[in-house]
Formats: sequence, structure tokens, C-alpha cells
Amino acid sequence: MIKFKHIRSRIAFTFLTVVVAIQLAGLLPLKYALSKHADTLAAEQINVGERVFVSLLQHNTQSLKQATQVLAADFAFREAVATNDAETIESALESYQGRIRAQIAYYISNNDNLVIGTTDNEQALFGSNAKEDARQAMLENQSGTLKFDIIEGKPYQLITVPVKAPETIGWIVMGFAVDGRLADQIKQLTHLDVTFVQKTHQRDWQLVSSTSTRELSNLLVKTVADIYRQKLSLHSVDLNGQAYHLKIRSLHETKDDALLVVLQGSVEPFTQDLNTLFKVMVLLTFIGVLIFAALIWYVSRKTTEPIAALVNDADNIAMGDYEKEIQVNSTDEVGHLAKALNSMREAVLQRSLRIQRLAFNDELTGLSNRLAFNQGVHQAIMTHADSQQKLSVIVINIHRFKPINQTLGRDFGDDLLRHVGQVLKQNVLSDQDMVARLDADEFAVLLQQTDQAKATRYADKIQQVFERPVSVQGQAIDVRTGIGIALYPDHGLDEESLLNHAETALQESRAKKSPWIVYNTALEIDQSETLTLISDLKEAIQHDQLLLYIQPKIDVTTRRALGGEALIRWVHPEKGMIFPDQFIPFAEQTGVISDITNWMLLRACQVLAGFKKQGLHITLAVNLSTRDLNNMELPEQIGHLLSSHGLDAKSLKLEITEGSLMQDPERAEVVVKKLAAMGLHLSIDDFGTGYSSLAYLRQLPVQELKIDRSFVMFMDKNSGDASIVKSTIDLAHNMGLIVVAEGIENEFVLNQLAKLGCNEGQGYFIGKPMPEKDFSIWLERWEGQNEIDIDIGDDLSYDINPLEIDPQAQDPFKLDNLGE
Amino acid sequence: MLRVMFRLGCAAMLLIAMCQSALASEVTLLVSDAGGKPVADAVVAFYDGKTPAINPNAAGKIVQKNKMFNPKVTIVQTGTSINFPNEDTVRHHVYSFSPAKKFELKLYAGVPTNPVPFEQAGVVTLGCNIHDSMVGYIYVVDTPFFAKTDDKGKAVLKLNDGQYSYQAWLPGQNKPGVEQKITIEGATEVKITLP
Repeated sequence: MIKFKHIRSRIAFTFLTVVVAIQLAGLLPLKYALSKHADTLAAEQINVGERVFVSLLQHNTQSLKQATQVLAADFAFREAVATNDAETIESALESYQGRIRAQIAYYISNNDNLVIGTTDNEQALFGSNAKEDARQAMLENQSGTLKFDIIEGKPYQLITVPVKAPETIGWIVMGFAVDGRLADQIKQLTHLDVTFVQKTHQRDWQLVSSTSTRELSNLLVKTVADIYRQKLSLHSVDLNGQAYHLKIRSLHETKDDALLVVLQGSVEPFTQDLNTLFKVMVLLTFIGVLIFAALIWYVSRKTTEPIAALVNDADNIAMGDYEKEIQVNSTDEVGHLAKALNSMREAVLQRSLRIQRLAFNDELTGLSNRLAFNQGVHQAIMTHADSQQKLSVIVINIHRFKPINQTLGRDFGDDLLRHVGQVLKQNVLSDQDMVARLDADEFAVLLQQTDQAKATRYADKIQQVFERPVSVQGQAIDVRTGIGIALYPDHGLDEESLLNHAETALQESRAKKSPWIVYNTALEIDQSETLTLISDLKEAIQHDQLLLYIQPKIDVTTRRALGGEALIRWVHPEKGMIFPDQFIPFAEQTGVISDITNWMLLRACQVLAGFKKQGLHITLAVNLSTRDLNNMELPEQIGHLLSSHGLDAKSLKLEITEGSLMQDPERAEVVVKKLAAMGLHLSIDDFGTGYSSLAYLRQLPVQELKIDRSFVMFMDKNSGDASIVKSTIDLAHNMGLIVVAEGIENEFVLNQLAKLGCNEGQGYFIGKPMPEKDFSIWLERWEGQNEIDIDIGDDLSYDINPLEIDPQAQDPFKLDNLGE
Repeated sequence: MLRVMFRLGCAAMLLIAMCQSALASEVTLLVSDAGGKPVADAVVAFYDGKTPAINPNAAGKIVQKNKMFNPKVTIVQTGTSINFPNEDTVRHHVYSFSPAKKFELKLYAGVPTNPVPFEQAGVVTLGCNIHDSMVGYIYVVDTPFFAKTDDKGKAVLKLNDGQYSYQAWLPGQNKPGVEQKITIEGATEVKITLP
């Protein structure tokens, strides 16, 4: 199979091949048929010629016979014959011969061999020997019709007619020479060349007369001789390069003699006409094929051109040009294909746009994503590289977003994020400014042509917006944000460093609870310190750089010391005392927290065992982190610790936050239930800051509820706080829980709590966190003091709960105090 | 004609009976051709060498009717005159080129005034110049003993016993087909085969 580059070539080739084949298939048989037809026509002409010839001879015979019969019937002639009047007979014959233009005329009597003829011929006709033979031959030819004979080497047509008186008494014979005249006469009627050829015993084949040229005739004689020998009558021969049909008819034939007439018809006239016809047919075929070829070429071009155009369009699409619409010019299959291509192009375009959107957009908020923001900043830097204009990259974070998401549901969180994004977007300074969502709760804003003053104004504005509670899904919620600002070119020359520095500033803003922070190099050091701390933390555990602090806890009603909450401090070999808020969040993130918890549990058990030796039966509470609650081996580990230190399960309390329970409630529940089953005392820490319902807590085997300090600290000044505390205490009691109040900072509050029925309490008024040794001293002093008066003490420094964010000067009702 | 023949026959018989002491007996002739088929109208004449034709002035006639000579074959003794009455409505031109008797009766109708006498023995072929198909034969014989065969090739003659020669012709033949001698003794049957 031939390979074609174009469909149209294949179509054209196929059709042309078929057409040419059909034409050839037609022409070849036509050629054959035509030449056969020419032959047939020529043969037919010969046959017709022969029939005409025979009929002519018959006619000739008839007329000659009639003419002769006139003489034979003449009474006077008959009388002359009957009376054997030779002289009269001869003269009558002579005159009659002249009248009918016969060359020979004579009378043969029936009885007595009387032969009277015209003088010239008598001898010639019969001679001395042949006389009887000839007479016999005459008699045999009784029919009185035609007979050819060669007499004296010359061919004659002999007519024999009987003379009756009334019976046949003799014969008249008239002879007509076979010569050119006869040949011409035949030719006139048959349109065939006529040649007479004879053979005698004296001479071989020789020409008698012919209507064709001498040369051709002589040629014919030889051919005829051959044909005659083969006894053929009809024959085709080539004479002088021309095809002839020959019809040979024997007119007279004896042993030695023969007279033949040859009718010759040339095939040429017929072939000429038919050849012309054939040539015209070939020409017409050729023209037809040419026209057809042009037509096929045109049609196939017409057909394949749109396809080629579509191929071109498809190539364009492949190269990524989706914009140009493909023209649909027809309603046929090609049109459908164009339509299909068009819808494909549309789909690809939509998909690529979507991919682009996904790549550069944040699905949730519809804002740009980190990638797009990076590009935007990069673009802005490129644009501003030459100018003196500054850029601001501002990173905004929603405080405590994760617990909001966890407690109020993801839908709520999503709506909140959208709202925040909206607020950020609404407050941008120009159209070119860009707002993006970088992470779960982290947004970034690019302000074009903005100096520090403008950037901080923007930050202030955002801050102001979020000072009022935000309404999401019909719920009012307080949103606190941290904002970090970095400026180009002051704080970085590329998008990466700008963003990093803005985030560093954000961290600082969060850490310092400051509304916004503009980046400065000092921040960088803090940040790196934190990182260093994390790496040092594992070493700290191993090298015993950690200290156990205890914050005392008393019975609110009796004011008796009950024990304390175990807290952690890290004495860094270089940096000195480090508070938990500087390393606990990172410890939680990195998983080091498990090691810290284990260390705490061990130390608490050691301390408890120490007091037990002294006969003091106090309790210590240890905080468990989220990770700890998910550690299924924790109950076993604790059981092991207790038994190894010979401690009762009741002496160890475990504090868990609502948030840590929520991380993986099912797992946490399993762990908590195991712990409770072991007889351990479980306490819910920071109650009120989370969203866990009391109903949920009731399912858990907890015995204690710790009201968050944010409610307690100002309950003496804020009646709302007081009522919250009261209702919480009532609720807890209804559920059979012990209520512990944190953050008791004066006696008034302590007394208030006592009145409200709170069971236990802790706070600076009772005692700040202290080392183990100091706690023993405090115990002694507290028991003593309690007898006389309550001393506030001179230590004004604030204690920090190891698992809580610094509570200082924060409104306990604000969400940002939920901690993380 | 038959009556004439009959009369002639009777006369001859009378003569023979008177002169030859009445020893005549019936001779039956059976003529057939080479193939054995009986030949009708065959002419047979017996010669005894001494009896000439009787009644030289006898007369006969050959009628032309329906463009035919009737009878076609007629046997007469020399000296007989024959008339040719034309009973057709068309005219006839009766002629003979035969050496025994040449004559010509130019176009005529009805009965010619003069009958044609036949003195010479021989065969006379009759024709009509205007009707080529008309052929008739007159066998003129120089003997009173002759006969013409009927449809069965049979003829009967009364001959005295003795030596005879006979000739027989196929009808229309110029020369006798058979020429033979024969001795007749009483009633006999002669079979003649003509070539």
C-alpha cells in the first residue's frame, strides 16, 4: 500500500486509478470489438459481394440464355437445322453472335455429330481430338445454364440452349469471354475488386483480368494459387501491407484446368473509420480522465481543506493557544468535528483556568494563595526596583483559630476565615494591593507604595475592626489578630525574605500580645534563641536542667493546705531561668513534651514519696498534654511509677485541658477511662475557656473542675464574672464534681469563693509556684499563719502556669485567652 | 380412330383368313423398359417380308385438343392420309421437320381442307410452332401387323404362324429400340424389353 501524506492524494489516486482502469477496461474490448467489427464488415462485404456476383452471373446467364433461345426458337432457323442447311445455320449463328455480342457461337446437332460454328472458333473450340469430348460436355450440361470453360487458353462463359423441333434436335452454344469487361461489371455492382485467374494444362496460374492494379493482381495470383491448393474459399491476406479479405470461387475446374474468380475487399476502409472512432474514444477518455482528475482534485481539496484547517487549529490548541475560537463553517461531519474541537478547546481552557486558579488561588476564601502572593510580591519588587517607593508585606494571624475550628466546627471556622479575608480585602489602600491566605489561619497583605506609617495605619485599622465581636453564622465571636509587618527594601530585597521577616514579626506580635510589630533585626535573635532552646531541650531533660515547682492549693472553706500543682522550670546553663511558655509550645509540636511529662510524673512521685516519709499526705497535680492523652501506654507507665514509689493512686492528680481532650476524643477517652479505673484523680483544667459542654464532661470519669483564672481574678470587680463562677460551681456540684478556683489574688475573692461553695483554690494570694524545698517551708508557715491571719506575702512576681499562656492583663472573656 | 383400326384389323383378318387358309392365332405382346416396368404407347411392328401395307388410301385423323395431339402416338401404314382437325379455340401451326414427312399446316382453326398423306415409312415428329409443349408422333409402317401397348404395356396381335421380324419403339423414339426376328407358332406371348 502506497503511503500518502494527504488524504486528498489518496482519494485522488484511488479514484483516478479506478477511473483509468474502467476506461482501459472499456477501451481494450472496444479496440478488439472494433477491429473484429471491421473484419466482420469486410467479410460481410465480401459475402454480399459474392452473392451479388452469383446473382449477377445468374442474371447474365438468364438474359444471354433468353437471347440465345430466341434464335433457337426461330422457325426458320429450326427449319434450316432440321434440313441440315449448314450454310444457313452458320450465317444465322454469325449474325446472331454479333447481335448478342458473343465471342463464340455454334450449333451441335443431336443425332449426327453435326457441328456448325463461326469459323474462327470451330477449330479452336474442338480441334480434331477434343470434338467429341466437348460435345459430350455440352450434352451433360442439359440445364442449359451457365458454364465456364477454357477454350484455347482463354476463359469463356458458355450458354447452351436446346433447339427443339419440337423435340431437342440440337444445341446452340454461345460463348462470352471472361475479361475485364465482366470484371468491371462485377466491380460496379459489388464494389469489390475482381480478379480472374486461370490455370491450364499448358500454363500454370496466370492472371486473366483484374480490376485492381497490375502489381497487386500479380501478387494476388501467387497468393490465390496457395490458397486454392489449400481448398480455402474465404481468406484474409496482407498484400502490400494492407489487409484484404479474399473470396475465391471456382468457376471451372477439370483435372488440368481451373478458372477462379477472386473477390477482394480491403479491410482498410472499415478499419480506417473504426480507427478514427477509436482514436476519438481514446481522446474523449483522456479528456474525461483529465476532467475527472481535476474534479477529484477539487472535491478532495474541498473535503480535506477544512480538515487541514482543523488540524492546524488542533496544533494551536496543543501549543497552548486556547483563546482563538475555531470557525465552524459547515453542518457536516467536519462541522461537527470543528464543534467538538471547539468544545474541547473550551473545556481545556476552563480546566487550565481552574488549574491556574487552584495553583494561585485559595479555594476557601477566593483570595490568592502563597504561591500567587510570592509572585505578586516578586512582581511588585520588579516594578519598584528602580523607584524609591516602598512596599509593605503584612502577615496577619488569627489567634486561637484551631480551637475555634475544633469547638465551633469547621464550617464556622471556614466562614470566619472568609470574613477575615473579606475585612482584609476591604481595607486595602489601592487596587494593586493584594490579599492572600498563606496557611490555615494566616493571611498576608501586600500594600504597594506604602511606607511604614501607612502600613501601621492599615494594621491599626484591622485591629480596630476586630475590636468589636465579629458575627459569623449568627454568632458573635471575638477575633484577636497578630500582625507582622516587613517593608521593602528596608527588611528584605526579595519576596522570600520579606515574607519570612513579616512572619517573624507576627510571631513577636503574638508572643508580646502586641497588636502589630514591624520587623527589626532584634526579633531575629529572639526567634533563633527559641530554636536553639528546642534543640537544647532534650539535653536539658538528660542533664537534669529542669526543676519541679509547686504552687500550693488549699481547701477554700477550711483554708487547710491540700497539696499543689506541679509546674516546670528550666534552668538553662547560659540563659538562666526559662519559663515554660518559651519552650512548652515547641515541646508539644516536636513531641518532646512526652519526655517532659514523664520527667514531671517521675519527679512528682519522688516528691510525694518524700512527703509521705515525713508523714505528710498531700496531693500533687501534674498537667497532661494532648500527646500524653493519646499515649495508650500512659496508664501503665503511671501505674508503674506509683507502685515503684509506694504511692497511693489518690495522691497523684492529673490535669487535662478541654482542648487536649478534643484533639482525638475517642483515643483520649480510652486513656482517661483507664487512668480513672486505676483510681487516679482527674481534673479538667482551665474550665470555661474551651467549648466542651458539661454534658460531654459528665461522660468522662473526672472528679474535679478547675475554673480558669480569667473568671476568678476579677470576680471581685466584675459581677458578671462572679455569676459565671457561681453558676459553674453550681453546675459542677450538681454533677458531683469538686470545684477548684485558680487565680485567687486576694482574700476577698477567697472569701467570695468560700461563700459560693467552691471547694479548693490556688493563686498568688495563697502561694506562688515554688521549688520543692520552699514548698515544705510554705506548708509549715501556711498552717501556722492560718491560725492567726492571712498574709499576702511580699512576692509580687507572677507565677506562670507551665501549660498556659501568660494570663497577664487579659480579659478572661476574650477568646484570645483560650491559649494554644 | 378406334373404329378405323378395328375395321382395318377386321379387313386384315379377313384377308389373312382368305389367303392364308385361316391359320391366324393371337399373339400377346408385353413391352417393358430396362427396369421391367411396362411401357404404354410403345409401338411394335411385325414384318413377314411379303405382305405390304394394305389399303394405301386409308384415312385417319389426329385431333388437337387442349393443346395436345390426340392420340399422341399414332401408327399408320404407308399411304395413309391423316387430317389434323383443330378442336381447340386457339389456332395451331402444325409442322414436321422429320425426314419421313415434312409438312406445315400454317395457323388454322377447324378442320383443314386437305388431309396430309404419309407415303414414306418412318417416324414423323409433330410439333406446333406456337405451342412448344405440343408433341405428337406418327409411326408410318410398311406392314399391316403392328400394335400399340396399353397402359399395362400389353398389346394383342393376330398373326399366322411363320417367320417374322419385328421392331419396337419407345414412344417418341426415332430409332426402334428393338429389331429382332421371331417365329410364331400358334397363340403365344412375346416379351419385349426396350432399352
